[in-house]
Amino acid sequence: MKDELELIRRMQKRDSQALSSLYDLYSGAIYGVIFRICKNESQAEDLLQETFLKIWNKSELYNPEKGKFFTWAYRIAKNITLNELRKNDKLIQNEDLSVYKDRSDDAEEKDFLALTGSLKKLEVHHQEAIELVYFEGLTHREAHQKMGVPLGTFKSYIRQALKKLKDTYPKEYFLWWIIIEMIR
Amino acid sequence: MDKDSIKENGLLEQYLLGELSEKESNEVEEALKGDEELRTYFNELEANFQQLAFENAITPPGRVKASLMDIVNNEINEERKVIPIKTRQQQRFSIPFAAAASLAFIFFLSSAWLYNNWKTTQSNLESLRNETSDLRSRITTIEEDYDETNKWYQAINQPDAVQLVLKGNDILPDATAITYVNHQDKTVILNTQGLPELAEDKDYQMWADVDGVMINMGVIPSDVTMTTMKYIDDAHSINITIEPAGGNDHPTVEQLISNVIL
Repeated sequence: MKDELELIRRMQKRDSQALSSLYDLYSGAIYGVIFRICKNESQAEDLLQETFLKIWNKSELYNPEKGKFFTWAYRIAKNITLNELRKNDKLIQNEDLSVYKDRSDDAEEKDFLALTGSLKKLEVHHQEAIELVYFEGLTHREAHQKMGVPLGTFKSYIRQALKKLKDTYPKEYFLWWIIIEMIR
Repeated sequence: MDKDSIKENGLLEQYLLGELSEKESNEVEEALKGDEELRTYFNELEANFQQLAFENAITPPGRVKASLMDIVNNEINEERKVIPIKTRQQQRFSIPFAAAASLAFIFFLSSAWLYNNWKTTQSNLESLRNETSDLRSRITTIEEDYDETNKWYQAINQPDAVQLVLKGNDILPDATAITYVNHQDKTVILNTQGLPELAEDKDYQMWADVDGVMINMGVIPSDVTMTTMKYIDDAHSINITIEPAGGNDHPTVEQLISNVIL
C-alpha cells in the first residue's frame, strides 16, 4: 500500500515509469471490467488505453483519503466504457439520468469472459447481482429490473454477496497478495 | 444521512461503483470522514470489489501498454520541449542575464560618467586653449609693446638726446609734443601723445628752420604715439604746422601751432 502510494505520487509528478508500474499492477483487473462491459476486444483495448491516459492526465485528482486507487481507476474505466457505448447508441437513458448498456439477452459471451474465482462460490442470484453492477456496468436500478426483483431485494443480494465474499477471501487472499507482490 | 441508512440503502456500494449523484457522493464522503466504523466497512467493500476484479482479470495484449507508453513518453518529450526550455531560459535569464544586465547598467553608468567627464575636460581644455591663445597674443602684444617702448626708451635715454617740449600756441593751446633730438646719432624722435586729433583731411607736419628756410622733416603719423622724424643738420628750430592730409611741400605759416628753438 505504501509502495502503491509512492508510485501514485511519482505518477502525479509525471513519472512515466510509475505509470508503467501501476499499469502492470492494475491493467488486467481493469481490462477484465472493460472487456466484459463492451464485449469487443479491439474496442476494449482502445478503452483500456484511454482509461490509463485519463489516469495519467488526471492523476492529481486522485485523493487517497477518499478510497483505494483501484476504486478510482475502476470508476474511470467504467465511465469511459459506458460513454463510448452510448456514443454508439447502445445505451438507453434511464429515468435517474444514469446510462446503461442496452444489452440483448442473446448476446453471445465468449468463454474467457466468464467470471471465475470467489464469485463462483456464491449462490447464482448473488453472482448475477455482482456481475450486473460490477462487470457489466449496470446501475442498481437497472440491474434489479433485469433480475426481476425489487430494488431493496437486489441491494440485499449485493450486500449478502459481498459478505460471503469477505468470508471466502481470507483463505485465498494470501495467495493473491503473493501474486500481486511478485508483479510489483 | 445517518450511518444505518447509508448501510441499509446500499449507498456505499453505489458510491463505490460511481452510481451516485455528486450531492449524494459528497454526503457519503462526509459520513465516511466522521465515522470510523463506516470507514472500515467501506474499506472492506473496496477490498472485496478489488478482489473480484483481480480474480477476473484478463491480461491485455502487450501492444496496449506499448502504445500507451509511446503516447505518454511523447507527451513528456513535448512538455520537456516547451516547459524545460522555458525553465532553462528563465534560469539563463535569472542569474547570468541579471549579471549581464547589471554589468551593462554599470557600464552604462560609467560610460555616462566618463562621457560627462570627457565633455567637461574637453570644455575646460577648449577654454584653456582660448585662454592660452589669448595670453599668447597678449604676450606678443606686450612683447611688441615692450620692444617698441624699449626701442623708444633706448633712443630717448641716450645721454646725447636732448628733450624739447613743443607747446601749442594760440591756435592750439592744449597741444603738447615732446621731441628728442640727438645730434650725435642725427635722430629725431617725437612723442605725439599730446597732439589733439585732427579732422580726417588734415595732418600735422614737422619742419626744420635752417637759415630762414623751412625744410620738411616729415608728416606726423596720427596712429602712433612715438615716431621718428627726419633729422636736419644746422636747424635752428623745430616747427609743427597743420597741413592738408598727406603733407605739404611748403609750410602753411598761418597754421603753425608750435615751435621750439634748438
